Amino acid sequence: MPALRAEKICKSFKRLFQEKKVLFDISLSIERGEIFGILGPNGAGKTTLMSIFSTLIRPDGGSLEVLGRDALRDTHAIRERINISSGNPNFPWSLTVRENLQHSAMLYGLSGRSLQRSVEEAISAFELGPQSDAKFETLSTGQKQRVSLAKSILNRPEILFLDEPTSGLDPEMAMKTRDLIKKIYQEEEITVVLTTHYMPEAEELCDRIAFLREGRLVALGTPGELKRALQIGHRIFVEYDGEVDPMKLRIIPGVMEVKELSGRVEMVFDHSGRAVSSIIKAFEGADILDIGIEEPDLEDVFLELAR
Amino acid sequence: MSWQGELHKVLSATYKNWIISKRNAFTLFELVFWPFIGLLSIGLLTRFLELGDDMVAFVLVGAIALSILQISQIDVAYILLFDLWSKSIKQTFVAPVRGYHLVLGAMLFGVIRGVAVFIVLAAASSHLFGFDFLAGGVATVIIFLAGTFLTAASIGMVVCISILLFGQRADVAAWTLSGIMMLVSGVYYPVSILPGPLQILSKSIPLTYLLEYYRSAYGYGDHQILLGIALALLYFVASLLILNLAIERARSTGMMLRLSE
Repeated sequence: MPALRAEKICKSFKRLFQEKKVLFDISLSIERGEIFGILGPNGAGKTTLMSIFSTLIRPDGGSLEVLGRDALRDTHAIRERINISSGNPNFPWSLTVRENLQHSAMLYGLSGRSLQRSVEEAISAFELGPQSDAKFETLSTGQKQRVSLAKSILNRPEILFLDEPTSGLDPEMAMKTRDLIKKIYQEEEITVVLTTHYMPEAEELCDRIAFLREGRLVALGTPGELKRALQIGHRIFVEYDGEVDPMKLRIIPGVMEVKELSGRVEMVFDHSGRAVSSIIKAFEGADILDIGIEEPDLEDVFLELAR
Repeated sequence: MSWQGELHKVLSATYKNWIISKRNAFTLFELVFWPFIGLLSIGLLTRFLELGDDMVAFVLVGAIALSILQISQIDVAYILLFDLWSKSIKQTFVAPVRGYHLVLGAMLFGVIRGVAVFIVLAAASSHLFGFDFLAGGVATVIIFLAGTFLTAASIGMVVCISILLFGQRADVAAWTLSGIMMLVSGVYYPVSILPGPLQILSKSIPLTYLLEYYRSAYGYGDHQILLGIALALLYFVASLLILNLAIERARSTGMMLRLSE
Protein backbone atom coordinates (compact mmCIF):
# COMPACT_ATOMS: atom_id res chain seq x y z
CA MET A 1 0.00 0.00 0.00
CA PRO A 2 1.53 3.34 -0.99
CA ALA A 3 1.80 6.21 1.51
CA LEU A 4 -0.12 8.45 -0.86
CA ARG A 5 -1.97 7.86 -4.10
CA ALA A 6 -3.43 10.71 -6.13
CA GLU A 7 -5.64 10.23 -9.18
CA LYS A 8 -6.51 13.12 -11.50
CA ILE A 9 -6.32 15.78 -8.80
CA CYS A 10 -7.40 19.17 -10.09
CA LYS A 11 -7.90 22.50 -8.38
CA SER A 12 -8.96 25.98 -9.34
CA PHE A 13 -9.35 29.14 -7.31
CA LYS A 14 -12.10 31.68 -7.84
CA ARG A 15 -11.60 35.35 -7.11
CA LEU A 16 -14.51 37.67 -7.79
CA PHE A 17 -15.67 36.57 -11.22
CA GLN A 18 -12.42 35.02 -12.36
CA GLU A 19 -11.51 31.39 -12.08
CA LYS A 20 -7.91 30.28 -12.29
CA LYS A 21 -7.12 26.63 -12.73
CA VAL A 22 -3.93 25.81 -10.85
CA LEU A 23 -3.72 22.00 -11.00
CA PHE A 24 -4.65 19.76 -13.93
CA ASP A 25 -5.24 16.01 -13.45
CA ILE A 26 -2.26 15.25 -11.24
CA SER A 27 -1.80 11.50 -10.79
CA LEU A 28 1.06 10.03 -8.82
CA SER A 29 1.87 7.54 -6.13
CA ILE A 30 4.34 7.94 -3.26
CA GLU A 31 5.71 4.81 -1.65
CA ARG A 32 6.15 4.37 2.08
CA GLY A 33 9.61 5.25 3.33
CA GLU A 34 10.37 7.36 0.27
CA ILE A 35 11.65 10.94 0.12
CA PHE A 36 9.62 12.41 -2.67
CA GLY A 37 10.34 15.83 -4.17
CA ILE A 38 7.90 18.16 -5.88
CA LEU A 39 9.76 20.65 -8.04
CA GLY A 40 8.74 23.38 -10.39
CA PRO A 41 9.06 27.08 -11.09
CA ASN A 42 7.08 29.71 -9.18
CA GLY A 43 3.37 29.38 -9.80
CA ALA A 44 3.67 25.74 -10.89
CA GLY A 45 1.21 24.63 -8.18
CA LYS A 46 3.65 22.99 -5.74
CA THR A 47 2.28 24.58 -2.57
CA THR A 48 -1.32 24.00 -3.68
CA LEU A 49 -0.57 20.33 -4.32
CA MET A 50 1.22 20.04 -0.97
CA SER A 51 -1.76 21.70 0.75
CA ILE A 52 -4.12 19.19 -0.86
CA PHE A 53 -1.89 16.25 0.07
CA SER A 54 -1.75 17.45 3.68
CA THR A 55 -5.59 17.87 3.68
CA LEU A 56 -5.37 21.59 4.43
CA ILE A 57 -7.44 22.31 1.32
CA ARG A 58 -9.71 20.13 -0.79
CA PRO A 59 -9.28 19.36 -4.47
CA ASP A 60 -12.09 20.14 -6.92
CA GLY A 61 -11.88 16.73 -8.51
CA GLY A 62 -10.00 13.45 -8.50
CA SER A 63 -9.31 11.04 -5.68
CA LEU A 64 -6.66 11.04 -2.98
CA GLU A 65 -5.66 8.26 -0.63
CA VAL A 66 -3.31 9.00 2.24
CA LEU A 67 -2.05 6.10 4.39
CA GLY A 68 -4.73 3.91 2.89
CA ARG A 69 -7.59 6.25 3.78
CA ASP A 70 -9.79 8.40 1.59
CA ALA A 71 -8.37 11.88 2.11
CA LEU A 72 -11.62 13.55 1.08
CA ARG A 73 -13.62 11.70 3.75
CA ASP A 74 -11.32 10.57 6.55
CA THR A 75 -9.42 13.85 6.86
CA HIS A 76 -9.47 13.92 10.64
CA ALA A 77 -7.95 10.45 11.02
CA ILE A 78 -5.29 11.30 8.43
CA ARG A 79 -4.33 14.56 10.14
CA GLU A 80 -3.53 12.60 13.31
CA ARG A 81 -0.82 10.72 11.36
CA ILE A 82 0.77 13.45 9.23
CA ASN A 83 2.33 16.85 9.76
CA ILE A 84 3.58 19.74 7.68
CA SER A 85 6.24 22.43 7.85
CA SER A 86 5.87 25.40 5.55
CA GLY A 87 8.39 27.85 4.20
CA ASN A 88 8.28 31.35 5.73
CA PRO A 89 6.20 30.00 8.60
CA ASN A 90 4.07 31.96 11.01
CA PHE A 91 2.92 31.15 14.51
CA PRO A 92 1.18 33.33 17.12
CA TRP A 93 3.73 36.10 17.56
CA SER A 94 3.53 36.67 21.28
CA LEU A 95 3.93 33.03 22.25
CA THR A 96 7.46 31.82 22.95
CA VAL A 97 9.01 28.95 21.01
CA ARG A 98 8.20 26.51 23.81
CA GLU A 99 4.63 27.82 24.19
CA ASN A 100 4.02 27.57 20.46
CA LEU A 101 5.25 23.99 20.45
CA GLN A 102 3.17 23.16 23.52
CA HIS A 103 0.11 24.68 21.87
CA SER A 104 0.75 22.73 18.65
CA ALA A 105 1.26 19.51 20.62
CA MET A 106 -2.10 20.09 22.34
CA LEU A 107 -3.76 20.54 18.94
CA TYR A 108 -2.52 17.03 18.15
CA GLY A 109 -4.03 15.73 21.39
CA LEU A 110 -0.75 15.20 23.21
CA SER A 111 -0.93 15.53 26.97
CA GLY A 112 1.05 15.11 30.16
CA ARG A 113 4.52 13.62 29.96
CA SER A 114 4.29 12.66 26.30
CA LEU A 115 3.55 16.31 25.47
CA GLN A 116 6.52 17.56 27.49
CA ARG A 117 8.81 14.88 26.06
CA SER A 118 7.79 15.62 22.47
CA VAL A 119 8.31 19.35 22.95
CA GLU A 120 11.72 18.90 24.57
CA GLU A 121 12.84 16.44 21.88
CA ALA A 122 11.74 18.80 19.12
CA ILE A 123 13.54 21.75 20.76
CA SER A 124 16.66 19.66 21.10
CA ALA A 125 16.50 18.17 17.57
CA PHE A 126 16.39 21.61 15.96
CA GLU A 127 18.80 23.27 18.39
CA LEU A 128 16.21 25.71 19.67
CA GLY A 129 17.27 25.51 23.32
CA PRO A 130 18.71 29.04 23.52
CA GLN A 131 15.59 30.50 21.89
CA SER A 132 13.02 28.34 23.68
CA ASP A 133 11.80 31.19 25.87
CA ALA A 134 11.99 33.85 23.15
CA LYS A 135 8.79 35.14 21.60
CA PHE A 136 8.21 33.99 18.03
CA GLU A 137 8.16 37.59 16.77
CA THR A 138 11.76 38.13 17.93
CA LEU A 139 13.23 35.16 16.01
CA SER A 140 15.26 35.34 12.82
CA THR A 141 13.91 33.81 9.60
CA GLY A 142 16.06 30.73 10.07
CA GLN A 143 14.98 30.28 13.67
CA LYS A 144 11.31 30.56 12.64
CA GLN A 145 11.93 27.91 10.03
CA ARG A 146 13.40 25.63 12.67
CA VAL A 147 10.37 26.18 14.93
CA SER A 148 8.18 25.09 12.05
CA LEU A 149 10.30 21.98 11.49
CA ALA A 150 10.28 21.23 15.22
CA LYS A 151 6.48 21.53 15.24
CA SER A 152 6.24 19.12 12.32
CA ILE A 153 7.72 16.19 14.25
CA LEU A 154 5.74 16.66 17.49
CA ASN A 155 3.17 13.95 16.70
CA ARG A 156 5.73 11.54 15.18
CA PRO A 157 4.06 11.70 11.77
CA GLU A 158 4.09 8.81 9.31
CA ILE A 159 4.19 11.29 6.44
CA LEU A 160 6.03 14.56 6.82
CA PHE A 161 5.23 17.31 4.30
CA LEU A 162 7.98 19.91 3.98
CA ASP A 163 7.18 22.95 1.89
CA GLU A 164 10.46 24.73 1.10
CA PRO A 165 12.10 23.50 4.33
CA THR A 166 15.36 25.42 3.89
CA SER A 167 13.85 28.61 2.54
CA GLY A 168 15.52 31.61 4.19
CA LEU A 169 18.19 29.59 5.98
CA ASP A 170 21.89 30.40 5.72
CA PRO A 171 23.97 27.73 3.97
CA GLU A 172 25.24 26.19 7.21
CA MET A 173 21.78 25.93 8.74
CA ALA A 174 20.35 24.69 5.43
CA MET A 175 22.94 21.91 5.43
CA LYS A 176 22.18 21.09 9.07
CA THR A 177 18.48 21.03 8.27
CA ARG A 178 19.03 18.63 5.38
CA ASP A 179 21.06 16.41 7.70
CA LEU A 180 18.26 16.55 10.27
CA ILE A 181 15.67 15.64 7.64
CA LYS A 182 17.82 12.67 6.65
CA LYS A 183 18.29 11.71 10.32
CA ILE A 184 14.56 11.89 11.11
CA TYR A 185 13.82 10.01 7.90
CA GLN A 186 16.24 7.24 8.81
CA GLU A 187 15.41 7.01 12.51
CA GLU A 188 11.65 7.25 12.26
CA GLU A 189 11.33 5.44 8.92
CA ILE A 190 8.80 7.98 7.74
CA THR A 191 7.74 9.14 4.29
CA VAL A 192 8.88 12.65 3.40
CA VAL A 193 7.28 14.78 0.70
CA LEU A 194 9.09 18.03 0.05
CA THR A 195 9.00 20.96 -2.29
CA THR A 196 12.12 22.97 -2.98
CA HIS A 197 13.57 25.48 -5.37
CA TYR A 198 17.07 24.38 -4.54
CA MET A 199 18.07 21.67 -7.00
CA PRO A 200 21.14 20.31 -5.17
CA GLU A 201 18.86 19.82 -2.16
CA ALA A 202 16.39 17.79 -4.21
CA GLU A 203 19.23 15.79 -5.74
CA GLU A 204 20.75 15.13 -2.32
CA LEU A 205 17.54 14.17 -0.55
CA CYS A 206 14.97 12.83 -2.98
CA ASP A 207 14.51 9.25 -4.13
CA ARG A 208 12.03 10.39 -6.75
CA ILE A 209 10.94 13.72 -8.10
CA ALA A 210 7.79 15.08 -9.71
CA PHE A 211 8.15 18.16 -11.89
CA LEU A 212 5.23 20.52 -12.14
CA ARG A 213 4.85 23.23 -14.73
CA GLU A 214 1.79 25.47 -14.94
CA GLY A 215 -0.19 23.03 -12.83
CA ARG A 216 0.66 19.96 -14.88
CA LEU A 217 2.85 17.02 -13.99
CA VAL A 218 5.48 17.06 -16.73
CA ALA A 219 7.97 14.49 -15.44
CA LEU A 220 8.26 11.90 -12.71
CA GLY A 221 11.16 9.65 -11.79
CA THR A 222 14.46 9.33 -9.99
CA PRO A 223 16.98 12.12 -10.64
CA GLY A 224 18.95 9.70 -12.87
CA GLU A 225 15.87 8.64 -14.80
CA LEU A 226 14.90 12.23 -15.42
CA LYS A 227 18.37 13.13 -16.74
CA ARG A 228 18.38 10.12 -19.05
CA ALA A 229 14.80 10.64 -20.22
CA LEU A 230 15.52 14.23 -21.14
CA GLN A 231 18.79 13.30 -22.83
CA ILE A 232 20.63 16.02 -21.06
CA GLY A 233 24.27 15.47 -22.00
CA HIS A 234 27.49 15.87 -20.06
CA ARG A 235 29.48 19.04 -20.64
CA ILE A 236 33.14 19.00 -21.62
CA PHE A 237 35.41 21.96 -22.05
CA VAL A 238 38.86 21.89 -23.62
CA GLU A 239 41.36 24.75 -23.50
CA TYR A 240 44.03 24.36 -26.14
CA ASP A 241 46.84 26.00 -28.01
CA GLY A 242 47.04 25.38 -31.77
CA GLU A 243 44.68 24.64 -34.65
CA VAL A 244 41.56 22.51 -34.31
CA ASP A 245 38.93 21.94 -36.99
CA PRO A 246 35.50 22.46 -35.36
CA MET A 247 33.84 20.36 -38.08
CA LYS A 248 35.76 17.33 -36.82
CA LEU A 249 34.17 17.86 -33.41
CA ARG A 250 30.63 18.30 -34.73
CA ILE A 251 30.63 14.99 -36.61
CA ILE A 252 31.75 12.91 -33.62
CA PRO A 253 28.89 10.51 -32.73
CA GLY A 254 27.21 11.58 -29.50
CA VAL A 255 28.27 15.23 -29.67
CA MET A 256 25.09 17.30 -29.35
CA GLU A 257 26.39 20.84 -29.22
CA VAL A 258 29.69 22.64 -29.88
CA LYS A 259 30.50 26.16 -28.79
CA GLU A 260 33.78 27.75 -29.92
CA LEU A 261 35.53 30.46 -28.01
CA SER A 262 39.04 31.76 -28.42
CA GLY A 263 41.35 28.86 -27.42
CA ARG A 264 38.48 27.05 -25.78
CA VAL A 265 35.76 24.70 -26.96
CA GLU A 266 32.69 23.75 -24.93
CA MET A 267 30.65 20.75 -25.98
CA VAL A 268 27.61 18.85 -24.80
CA PHE A 269 27.72 15.14 -25.46
CA ASP A 270 25.98 11.88 -24.72
CA HIS A 271 28.07 10.19 -22.08
CA SER A 272 26.69 6.74 -22.85
CA GLY A 273 28.79 6.46 -26.03
CA ARG A 274 32.57 6.66 -26.63
CA ALA A 275 32.61 10.34 -27.42
CA VAL A 276 35.32 11.39 -24.95
CA SER A 277 38.19 9.50 -26.65
CA SER A 278 37.02 10.73 -30.06
CA ILE A 279 36.92 14.29 -28.77
CA ILE A 280 40.44 14.04 -27.42
CA LYS A 281 41.64 12.53 -30.73
CA ALA A 282 40.18 15.54 -32.55
CA PHE A 283 42.68 17.71 -30.68
CA GLU A 284 45.69 15.91 -32.16
CA GLY A 285 48.04 18.53 -33.46
CA ALA A 286 47.14 20.98 -30.72
CA ASP A 287 48.31 21.20 -27.11
CA ILE A 288 45.54 20.54 -24.61
CA LEU A 289 46.09 23.01 -21.75
CA ASP A 290 43.09 22.10 -19.61
CA ILE A 291 40.15 19.76 -19.86
CA GLY A 292 37.09 19.17 -17.68
CA ILE A 293 33.87 17.17 -17.69
CA GLU A 294 30.72 18.15 -15.83
CA GLU A 295 27.85 15.78 -15.20
CA PRO A 296 24.38 17.21 -15.83
CA ASP A 297 22.60 18.07 -12.61
CA LEU A 298 19.00 18.55 -11.62
CA GLU A 299 19.35 22.24 -12.38
CA ASP A 300 19.73 21.29 -16.05
CA VAL A 301 16.67 19.05 -15.82
CA PHE A 302 14.75 21.87 -14.17
CA LEU A 303 15.76 24.39 -16.83
CA GLU A 304 14.88 21.97 -19.59
CA LEU A 305 11.47 21.19 -18.11
CA ALA A 306 10.68 24.76 -17.17
CA ARG A 307 11.12 25.92 -20.77
CA MET B 1 -7.97 9.36 20.53
CA SER B 2 -8.29 9.10 24.34
CA TRP B 3 -10.46 11.47 26.37
CA GLN B 4 -7.26 13.17 27.62
CA GLY B 5 -6.30 13.82 24.00
CA GLU B 6 -9.74 15.26 23.22
CA LEU B 7 -9.57 17.39 26.37
CA HIS B 8 -6.16 18.76 25.40
CA LYS B 9 -7.42 19.67 21.94
CA VAL B 10 -10.16 21.67 23.67
CA LEU B 11 -7.71 23.22 26.11
CA SER B 12 -5.32 24.22 23.30
CA ALA B 13 -7.54 27.24 22.53
CA THR B 14 -7.86 28.08 26.25
CA TYR B 15 -4.07 27.89 26.60
CA LYS B 16 -3.40 30.12 23.60
CA ASN B 17 -5.95 32.76 24.65
CA TRP B 18 -4.56 32.72 28.20
CA ILE B 19 -0.93 33.20 27.12
CA ILE B 20 -1.75 35.94 24.62
CA SER B 21 -4.03 37.71 27.10
CA LYS B 22 -1.55 37.68 29.97
CA ARG B 23 1.15 39.21 27.72
CA ASN B 24 -1.11 41.96 26.46
CA ALA B 25 -1.69 45.13 28.47
CA PHE B 26 -4.74 45.67 26.26
CA THR B 27 -6.35 42.73 28.06
CA LEU B 28 -6.44 44.64 31.33
CA PHE B 29 -8.29 47.44 29.56
CA GLU B 30 -10.70 44.89 28.05
CA LEU B 31 -11.29 43.22 31.39
CA VAL B 32 -11.43 46.11 33.84
CA PHE B 33 -10.92 49.59 32.45
CA TRP B 34 -13.53 49.89 29.69
CA PRO B 35 -16.29 47.91 31.43
CA PHE B 36 -15.70 49.94 34.59
CA ILE B 37 -15.65 53.28 32.76
CA GLY B 38 -18.82 52.27 30.88
CA LEU B 39 -20.59 51.31 34.09
CA LEU B 40 -19.44 54.44 35.90
CA SER B 41 -20.63 56.70 33.08
CA ILE B 42 -24.04 55.04 32.92
CA GLY B 43 -24.32 55.04 36.71
CA LEU B 44 -23.49 58.74 36.94
CA LEU B 45 -26.03 59.45 34.21
CA THR B 46 -28.71 57.77 36.32
CA ARG B 47 -27.68 60.05 39.21
CA PHE B 48 -27.89 63.13 36.97
CA LEU B 49 -31.34 62.09 35.73
CA GLU B 50 -32.35 61.39 39.33
CA LEU B 51 -33.71 57.95 38.45
CA GLY B 52 -35.30 55.76 41.08
CA ASP B 53 -33.64 52.54 42.32
CA ASP B 54 -35.71 50.35 40.01
CA MET B 55 -34.70 52.40 36.95
CA VAL B 56 -31.05 52.43 38.07
CA ALA B 57 -31.22 48.63 38.32
CA PHE B 58 -32.79 48.45 34.84
CA VAL B 59 -29.96 50.43 33.25
CA LEU B 60 -27.12 48.83 35.22
CA VAL B 61 -28.31 45.31 34.34
CA GLY B 62 -28.00 46.33 30.69
CA ALA B 63 -24.54 47.83 31.14
CA ILE B 64 -23.26 44.73 32.95
CA ALA B 65 -24.80 42.36 30.39
CA LEU B 66 -23.27 44.25 27.48
CA SER B 67 -19.77 44.14 29.00
CA ILE B 68 -20.01 40.39 29.68
CA LEU B 69 -21.32 39.77 26.17
CA GLN B 70 -18.52 41.77 24.56
CA ILE B 71 -15.69 40.16 26.51
CA SER B 72 -16.99 36.60 26.08
CA GLN B 73 -17.79 36.89 22.38
CA ILE B 74 -14.37 38.35 21.58
CA ASP B 75 -12.69 35.38 23.30
CA VAL B 76 -14.49 32.99 20.95
CA ALA B 77 -13.74 35.24 17.97
CA TYR B 78 -10.07 35.13 19.01
CA ILE B 79 -10.04 31.50 17.76
CA LEU B 80 -9.47 32.98 14.33
CA LEU B 81 -8.53 36.58 15.07
CA PHE B 82 -5.19 35.79 16.77
CA ASP B 83 -4.29 33.36 13.98
CA LEU B 84 -5.50 35.82 11.36
CA TRP B 85 -3.35 38.65 12.71
CA SER B 86 -0.29 36.41 12.99
CA LYS B 87 -1.07 34.72 9.63
CA SER B 88 -0.87 31.31 11.25
CA ILE B 89 -4.34 29.95 10.51
CA LYS B 90 -3.06 26.97 8.58
CA GLN B 91 -1.02 25.79 11.59
CA THR B 92 -4.31 25.26 13.42
CA PHE B 93 -6.33 23.77 10.59
CA VAL B 94 -3.73 21.31 9.39
CA ALA B 95 -3.97 19.73 12.85
CA PRO B 96 -6.64 17.15 13.74
CA VAL B 97 -8.98 19.57 15.53
CA ARG B 98 -12.63 20.18 14.88
CA GLY B 99 -14.63 23.37 15.27
CA TYR B 100 -16.09 22.32 18.60
CA HIS B 101 -12.63 21.75 20.12
CA LEU B 102 -11.68 25.34 19.36
CA VAL B 103 -15.04 26.85 20.32
CA LEU B 104 -15.33 25.03 23.65
CA GLY B 105 -11.72 25.86 24.57
CA ALA B 106 -12.08 29.53 23.73
CA MET B 107 -15.50 29.65 25.37
CA LEU B 108 -14.04 28.29 28.59
CA PHE B 109 -11.61 31.21 28.69
CA GLY B 110 -14.44 33.59 27.75
CA VAL B 111 -16.54 32.27 30.65
CA ILE B 112 -13.66 32.81 33.08
CA ARG B 113 -13.15 36.37 31.83
CA GLY B 114 -16.89 37.02 31.69
CA VAL B 115 -17.33 35.91 35.32
CA ALA B 116 -14.39 38.14 36.31
CA VAL B 117 -16.01 41.12 34.57
CA PHE B 118 -19.34 40.35 36.24
CA ILE B 119 -17.71 40.25 39.68
CA VAL B 120 -15.88 43.54 39.11
CA LEU B 121 -18.95 45.32 37.74
CA ALA B 122 -21.39 43.86 40.26
CA ALA B 123 -19.11 44.86 43.13
CA ALA B 124 -18.56 48.33 41.68
CA SER B 125 -22.25 48.96 41.01
CA SER B 126 -23.18 47.72 44.45
CA HIS B 127 -20.59 49.94 46.15
CA LEU B 128 -21.07 53.07 44.03
CA PHE B 129 -24.77 52.99 43.18
CA GLY B 130 -26.30 50.67 45.77
CA PHE B 131 -27.31 48.12 43.15
CA ASP B 132 -28.28 44.76 44.66
CA PHE B 133 -27.18 42.37 41.94
CA LEU B 134 -28.42 39.35 43.91
CA ALA B 135 -32.00 40.60 44.25
CA GLY B 136 -33.28 37.63 42.24
CA GLY B 137 -31.04 35.12 44.01
CA VAL B 138 -27.91 33.25 42.97
CA ALA B 139 -29.81 30.95 40.59
CA THR B 140 -31.07 33.94 38.61
CA VAL B 141 -27.52 35.23 38.21
CA ILE B 142 -26.27 31.80 37.12
CA ILE B 143 -29.05 31.33 34.55
CA PHE B 144 -28.59 34.88 33.26
CA LEU B 145 -24.82 34.41 32.92
CA ALA B 146 -25.15 30.96 31.30
CA GLY B 147 -27.55 32.33 28.68
CA THR B 148 -25.30 35.34 28.05
CA PHE B 149 -22.23 33.11 27.58
CA LEU B 150 -24.08 30.90 25.09
CA THR B 151 -25.24 33.98 23.18
CA ALA B 152 -21.73 35.45 23.24
CA ALA B 153 -20.27 32.20 21.90
CA SER B 154 -22.73 32.27 19.01
CA ILE B 155 -21.73 35.86 18.17
CA GLY B 156 -18.04 34.90 18.35
CA MET B 157 -18.69 32.00 15.97
CA VAL B 158 -20.52 34.31 13.55
CA VAL B 159 -17.37 36.48 13.51
CA CYS B 160 -15.29 33.38 12.69
CA ILE B 161 -17.76 32.30 9.99
CA SER B 162 -17.62 35.80 8.44
CA ILE B 163 -13.82 35.68 8.30
CA LEU B 164 -13.82 32.20 6.72
CA LEU B 165 -16.37 33.27 4.12
CA PHE B 166 -15.29 36.80 3.32
CA GLY B 167 -11.65 37.01 4.36
CA GLN B 168 -9.62 39.23 6.62
CA ARG B 169 -11.73 42.36 6.22
CA ALA B 170 -14.62 40.64 7.95
CA ASP B 171 -12.79 40.92 11.28
CA VAL B 172 -14.67 44.18 11.77
CA ALA B 173 -17.67 41.97 12.64
CA ALA B 174 -15.97 41.27 15.96
CA TRP B 175 -16.80 44.76 17.16
CA THR B 176 -20.01 45.50 15.27
CA LEU B 177 -22.20 42.52 16.12
CA SER B 178 -22.37 43.27 19.84
CA GLY B 179 -23.24 46.89 18.92
CA ILE B 180 -26.20 45.65 16.89
CA MET B 181 -27.22 43.46 19.83
CA MET B 182 -27.12 46.52 22.07
CA LEU B 183 -29.49 48.34 19.73
CA VAL B 184 -32.14 45.66 19.27
CA SER B 185 -32.16 43.64 22.49
CA GLY B 186 -33.04 46.50 24.83
CA VAL B 187 -29.82 46.88 26.77
CA TYR B 188 -30.68 50.41 27.95
CA TYR B 189 -34.43 50.58 27.21
CA PRO B 190 -37.41 48.24 26.93
CA VAL B 191 -37.76 46.74 23.47
CA SER B 192 -41.37 47.96 23.39
CA ILE B 193 -40.13 51.43 22.39
CA LEU B 194 -38.42 50.06 19.26
CA PRO B 195 -40.08 50.46 15.85
CA GLY B 196 -42.22 47.47 14.79
CA PRO B 197 -39.73 45.59 12.56
CA LEU B 198 -36.94 45.98 15.13
CA GLN B 199 -39.27 44.63 17.83
CA ILE B 200 -39.76 41.49 15.74
CA LEU B 201 -35.99 41.19 15.39
CA SER B 202 -35.51 41.72 19.13
CA LYS B 203 -37.85 38.78 19.82
CA SER B 204 -35.47 36.51 17.94
CA ILE B 205 -32.48 37.48 20.11
CA PRO B 206 -31.86 35.53 23.34
CA LEU B 207 -30.31 38.54 25.07
CA THR B 208 -33.70 40.27 25.00
CA TYR B 209 -35.20 37.47 27.11
CA LEU B 210 -32.16 37.22 29.38
CA LEU B 211 -32.36 40.92 30.19
CA GLU B 212 -36.12 40.68 30.82
CA TYR B 213 -35.46 37.72 33.12
CA TYR B 214 -32.84 39.47 35.20
CA ARG B 215 -34.86 42.69 35.32
CA SER B 216 -37.98 40.83 36.45
CA ALA B 217 -36.28 40.50 39.84
CA TYR B 218 -36.42 44.30 40.08
CA GLY B 219 -40.15 44.52 39.35
CA TYR B 220 -40.13 44.73 35.58
CA GLY B 221 -42.95 42.33 34.73
CA ASP B 222 -42.93 38.84 33.28
CA HIS B 223 -40.21 36.98 31.47
CA GLN B 224 -39.89 34.09 29.04
CA ILE B 225 -36.54 32.74 30.14
CA LEU B 226 -37.18 29.22 28.83
CA LEU B 227 -37.68 30.63 25.34
CA GLY B 228 -34.52 32.72 25.75
CA ILE B 229 -32.41 29.76 26.84
CA ALA B 230 -33.90 27.58 24.08
CA LEU B 231 -33.04 30.25 21.49
CA ALA B 232 -29.52 30.62 22.93
CA LEU B 233 -29.00 26.84 22.69
CA LEU B 234 -30.47 26.71 19.19
CA TYR B 235 -28.20 29.50 17.94
CA PHE B 236 -25.20 27.92 19.65
CA VAL B 237 -25.73 24.54 17.96
CA ALA B 238 -26.60 26.16 14.61
CA SER B 239 -23.51 28.40 14.76
CA LEU B 240 -21.32 25.41 15.54
CA LEU B 241 -22.68 23.47 12.58
CA ILE B 242 -22.34 26.46 10.25
CA LEU B 243 -18.81 27.09 11.55
CA ASN B 244 -17.84 23.53 10.56
CA LEU B 245 -19.38 24.07 7.13
CA ALA B 246 -17.52 27.38 6.79
CA ILE B 247 -14.22 25.66 7.70
CA GLU B 248 -14.84 23.04 5.00
CA ARG B 249 -15.81 25.74 2.52
CA ALA B 250 -12.62 27.66 3.30
CA ARG B 251 -10.71 24.46 2.51
CA SER B 252 -12.50 24.21 -0.84
CA THR B 253 -12.21 27.85 -1.88
CA GLY B 254 -8.58 28.14 -0.79
CA MET B 255 -9.50 30.86 1.72
CA MET B 256 -7.61 28.80 4.30
CA LEU B 257 -4.39 29.40 2.33
CA ARG B 258 -5.14 33.06 1.58
CA LEU B 259 -5.73 33.83 5.25
CA SER B 260 -2.24 32.50 6.01
CA GLU B 261 -0.49 34.64 3.40
